[in-house]
Amino acid sequence: MRETIIEILKDIRSDIDFENATALIDDGQLESLDIVAIVGEFNEEFDVEISVEDLVHENFNTVDAMVELISKAQED
Amino acid sequence: MALTSFWFLIFAAAVVLAYYLTPAKYRWVTLLIASYAFYAVSSIKTLIFMVATTVITFYGGRRLGQINAEHKAYLAEHKSELSRDDKKELKAKVQSRKKVVAVILIFNFGVLAFLKYFRVYITALIPGINLGILIPLGISFYTFQAAAYIIDLYRVKYDADDNIAKFGLFMSFFPQIIQGPIARHDQLATQLYEGHRFEYKNLTYGAQLILWGFFKKLIIADRVAIMVSEVFDNPGDYQGAIVFAALFGYTIQIYADFSGGIDIARGVARTMGIEMSHNFMRPYFADSLSEFWRRWHMSLSFWTRDYIFYPISLSKTFGKLGKDMRSRVGDRVGKLFPVLCAQMATFVVIGIWHGAEFKYVAYGLYNAFIIILGLLLEPQLKAAVEKLHINAESRMWKVFQMLRTLMIVTIGRMFPKAASFTVALSMYASIFKGNGGVPFSEQILQLGLTGIDYCILLGACAVWFVISFYQEKGIKIRDALAEMNIVLRWVILILGVTAVLVAGIYGPGYDAAAFIYRGF
Repeated sequence: MRETIIEILKDIRSDIDFENATALIDDGQLESLDIVAIVGEFNEEFDVEISVEDLVHENFNTVDAMVELISKAQED
Repeated sequence: MALTSFWFLIFAAAVVLAYYLTPAKYRWVTLLIASYAFYAVSSIKTLIFMVATTVITFYGGRRLGQINAEHKAYLAEHKSELSRDDKKELKAKVQSRKKVVAVILIFNFGVLAFLKYFRVYITALIPGINLGILIPLGISFYTFQAAAYIIDLYRVKYDADDNIAKFGLFMSFFPQIIQGPIARHDQLATQLYEGHRFEYKNLTYGAQLILWGFFKKLIIADRVAIMVSEVFDNPGDYQGAIVFAALFGYTIQIYADFSGGIDIARGVARTMGIEMSHNFMRPYFADSLSEFWRRWHMSLSFWTRDYIFYPISLSKTFGKLGKDMRSRVGDRVGKLFPVLCAQMATFVVIGIWHGAEFKYVAYGLYNAFIIILGLLLEPQLKAAVEKLHINAESRMWKVFQMLRTLMIVTIGRMFPKAASFTVALSMYASIFKGNGGVPFSEQILQLGLTGIDYCILLGACAVWFVISFYQEKGIKIRDALAEMNIVLRWVILILGVTAVLVAGIYGPGYDAAAFIYRGF
């Protein structure tokens, strides 16, 4: 799953080093338009329903956080 | 009380003194009393509206918190055995939460709509009618702040406030009631409620920020306002480049005025150890209009992002609409559709937030149009840059982008500043009409400002630019000041105070409610 996520992320923002990033949101690297595109792709690729409530900094600051977010969403 | 008035300084100093004299546990009470006293002095006839919003939002929030807690407990108990009936019951719970949110939002925005907007439409339909409606101080700010709180509770972001007096402070905190920023409960509340220990650094950093706000407001904003008002109050008398000069002057004025006021407010809060969120991050350094809105009036644009942009762009309904459109508009635009709708809604709200008149709607639409166009044409623009062999990483290109953005922003400013939408259009047209025989160099000195005034403006803006430039590089100005040799630091600060005292504009408009954002 992690590789697919990184692929999706790189597709949307090829200029960001996602593997080593620790504060994608807090550092302002990902913007609202990126988030919307990312969530859209996640929802389609992993068949989940990530919604506005999930848009907290902690869920998108690192790739690991996103992996966790999607795993949780898949359980619901 | 205008933020730059002598009385406000006295008031703020008294509050800060009282704050530290109060036992830590009750410092929030001092703030509450001070905030309500401030509101009563500024706007006693409309105090009831702020109180009503406070009370309704507080109890609505408590109800939501209750439902959330019940929901959580229920889930914890029954997680393994959720049957269809259980899921139905859960759905019912969600409906009751939605009802609570709806009632509160309709009430709060209803009051705002009636007091601020309804009035304009009625007077437009029935000229001369005097409804005698006063606009409560800060109503746009505290209404949006309350709405954020309620929606956050609906999203189970944090627990509801359990003390109505403390919540009353959150809603009325005097440094932010005049012109924001629009705070979030989880960012500000704890800071307000916990009594802060006295720290010399807070006092000095706060005072320096206040001084900086005064510098921008009294030396730059109130000075350039003289020539801006002359042209915008008498649009029929001016044409040609002078109109554009006034428009550009307004671009400087609004930034200096608004950010200066925010600095004073944040500085006052800082002296008591309270960090209010930033509202400006050097917006004129933005390289695109989207970026500009991430740096200008940040608390408002973040509010629209979290409560309008994300909900619409992530909504399943809009997503489905976009998918259905793909066959006609292509894959990319189909996918973008929810985002485009979200941007439109966002900027219409930002426009209307400024006022009821159509010119404000036009302002919102102007921004929406440019951003949407940029999104639609993104691949073509990228291709054009490549074809022209432009190095997108080069400094020259970045400077070009900043100047281009500044131009786009300046042009847009005509709408909110001109007397009306039609006046704005005729002022745009007048720019191209030639200067009517009087050379620009003469006209510019006939607007109420002397050559010396322009020199002062230029000098002050140069100082401002240098400071912004270093801040953009990540340097913290007050930290840098603190590390300087003590003599040099005091020379700079004394120069600053002297400049404000000597070069500040203390003219007729000084004590009046000429503070642009006060009517919000």
